[in-house]
Amino acid sequence: MQLKPKNIKKYIYHEEIYFPLMQLKLKCMKLNFKSRHKVITQTTINSYIDKIPPAPKALQMTIMFLDAGELGKAAQIAQTDLALSAYLRSIVNNPLYGFSHEVKEIAQIFGILGLAGSQQTLYNYMTSLLSPNKWVLFKMNKTSFRTLQDHLSIQWQKILKHLQIDSKNITNAISLLPSSIIVSEALFCANKEDVTLLRSVKALDYNTILKRLGGIDLFDVCSKIAKKWEMADEISQIIQAASGLKPSHDAQINLLGKWMHLLLFYELSQPLFIEAGLNDFLDFQPEYVADIYDEFSKLMEIA
Amino acid sequence: MKALVKDSIGIFSPQGFLDGNSSNAYLTMEDMDATALLKVDMVLVSLKKVIFFNKNGLDIFVKMLKRVRAKNHATVGFCDYDSKKFHAIMHFYKDEVTFSLFKTHEIAALFASSFKNQSKTALLFSEDKSQRAAMAIELHDNGHNPVIAQSKTEFLEKSANGSAYDFIIDDTYLGQMGQKIATRVTGNAIIYSLSAYLDAEIGNTFNIAYHNNSLNVGFRLFIFDAYKVISMNVHALNFFSRLSSSAAEYNATICFAGLSFEKTPPSFKDTMEDAGIMFFGQMDDILHDKELMADLGGSSAVVTKNQRNLKKITVTELPRFIDATVLTIEMMTNSKALKETAKINEISLQDKKDKIASSIGFYGEMDGMLILVFPNEIAKKCCELLIGEKTEDAELILDSLSELVNIIGGKVKALLADEGISVNITLPRTYSDVKDLLDMTSGRKGVQVDLAFDHDKFLFFLTR
Repeated sequence: MQLKPKNIKKYIYHEEIYFPLMQLKLKCMKLNFKSRHKVITQTTINSYIDKIPPAPKALQMTIMFLDAGELGKAAQIAQTDLALSAYLRSIVNNPLYGFSHEVKEIAQIFGILGLAGSQQTLYNYMTSLLSPNKWVLFKMNKTSFRTLQDHLSIQWQKILKHLQIDSKNITNAISLLPSSIIVSEALFCANKEDVTLLRSVKALDYNTILKRLGGIDLFDVCSKIAKKWEMADEISQIIQAASGLKPSHDAQINLLGKWMHLLLFYELSQPLFIEAGLNDFLDFQPEYVADIYDEFSKLMEIA
Repeated sequence: MKALVKDSIGIFSPQGFLDGNSSNAYLTMEDMDATALLKVDMVLVSLKKVIFFNKNGLDIFVKMLKRVRAKNHATVGFCDYDSKKFHAIMHFYKDEVTFSLFKTHEIAALFASSFKNQSKTALLFSEDKSQRAAMAIELHDNGHNPVIAQSKTEFLEKSANGSAYDFIIDDTYLGQMGQKIATRVTGNAIIYSLSAYLDAEIGNTFNIAYHNNSLNVGFRLFIFDAYKVISMNVHALNFFSRLSSSAAEYNATICFAGLSFEKTPPSFKDTMEDAGIMFFGQMDDILHDKELMADLGGSSAVVTKNQRNLKKITVTELPRFIDATVLTIEMMTNSKALKETAKINEISLQDKKDKIASSIGFYGEMDGMLILVFPNEIAKKCCELLIGEKTEDAELILDSLSELVNIIGGKVKALLADEGISVNITLPRTYSDVKDLLDMTSGRKGVQVDLAFDHDKFLFFLTR
């Protein structure tokens, strides 16, 4: 029996079921399933990557001059970008860096941060440009995201010093890591409720869900972003290893991947980020980092 | 943090580092209460992904877990750890380990009454004699075959032949176990576990709403696992008699397995038999007898005698049910849905071949049952996301399908909550043969919506 008003009326009358006649009719007719969510496919992911703008010109040139070791020229260019200048000032005057006097001059800031530190800060800035104005999936905001970037950067430098590694690319690699969080936010925010329900019956992290739906994982997306931003291949390789799922054949990259993976979860175990819902956005792989854990805990003075 | 609930075990899985600062952020009492509300038998914290913990961190969890146990009588503790973590916990708490420790969550499931797969052979060892005995008794009571190693040497020798056992249990400790009436599903029979003395309190601890809705969803065989019952009084007797009478309206059967009448007046048995309750010496007498299971209604659905009609509120909220179903399946299959027809009648299925079905009941401020009939291909596609790979394993697909229907039920619950309507959902039931579904729904009218996902036809049916 098709749902026609006449039939319903007869049905209701004879079967003594109380149906709100018109309401049912209207609602059934309106069942057009306009999705309130975006289906995540390879196309959605590619479209997201396509929409990522290239690095701003001033930023590109600043990085280029820093790469060539020309701090003065880099500072001159950076000054022309007001947002970038403000970012650099706010970073270096953050209590985390512990400077007693306010530092205003960009050249001075680059001097304080050093060549590798300056470049890392610029890459952090580039990543922060991707962060949304309003976070939906994670309880984050611009400040907490910056805090995460700062913590990761400082601890990463500590790790590299401990490992006696002095490389600009390796220093910069940490800047790309938080973009995995931004990618999760961007791709899943429209499906927050569905994903939450899915995760309530099956222990799946966002990385696995994305891989199963779209065929590529968060770290592949990060690598594509790195390529778009013309970052060195080495950075992508370290990030892939830091997923904890794709060990590198290159011993040094694999080692750095382990330290980065453990560092990420060390930071994501801080109350601020647990409360933001970041602790389980990715699957932690304790076995992958087992051989460096003791060294890590000594370095970080974990009691 | 939300717990993952499966087979009546709620598991929280923090990752990384766990100390006095972070533990409070990982879990709150609200998280625990929300899990306890799902009527779980166990609430556990998995340490699988925890690389570091200290006593301060664990203390916070232990405090919350103890409150859950006191309030909901659930078994509480930790699971998924290695030997080093086990010894660290035992060292932290020395003689005050009041919670349970299960080396893996699979081992925990053996001790949970809701565990579906029984008759597992488990080699077990504990340095503590009383623990060895307690574990063996619990396992035996839950229908497993424990093999106890009396010494570490014997354990190592026996465990070398790992293939002889389904489970090898060590580094496990049973703290105070829960005393709740637990529910588990075996095939299409629901088993309730009873223990100790049964008195008027049974009326409070037995979840009558859950039971009634299980009847409505189509479960027809209810077995009380009464091995651990010492005795019952007249109040409990009256309760079970009433329960049996109300079940008779649905043509359902209530059985008791393993009830001893040593301390219970034998006349109670006659009274209960008069009320239609059946008694069996062993649980296996019922579960392993397929013919008897079928006779009692545990293997196929029986037409309900009490036909009920949809209410106004259910019809008004119909779009939410359809939304929840469509959005979830769209998400799981990455395909778009098209509505083809909507009609009010008994369920009508043109082609019954290559189809499986699942149903889930809801109750509270409104009640009813949502039935979904999937072509095998859609079911497989939906389950791919949950399983992680393509599979032809029918049992695995049915199992994943019940998880999927659980997601849909959860989504309906959330959508209705947005409208200020509070409902609970039952366990999902699956049908490998849609003929059983048609038997169960025979005579029930409801709203049927035919949908198409890509080229596959999919049926949605909402009834009471």
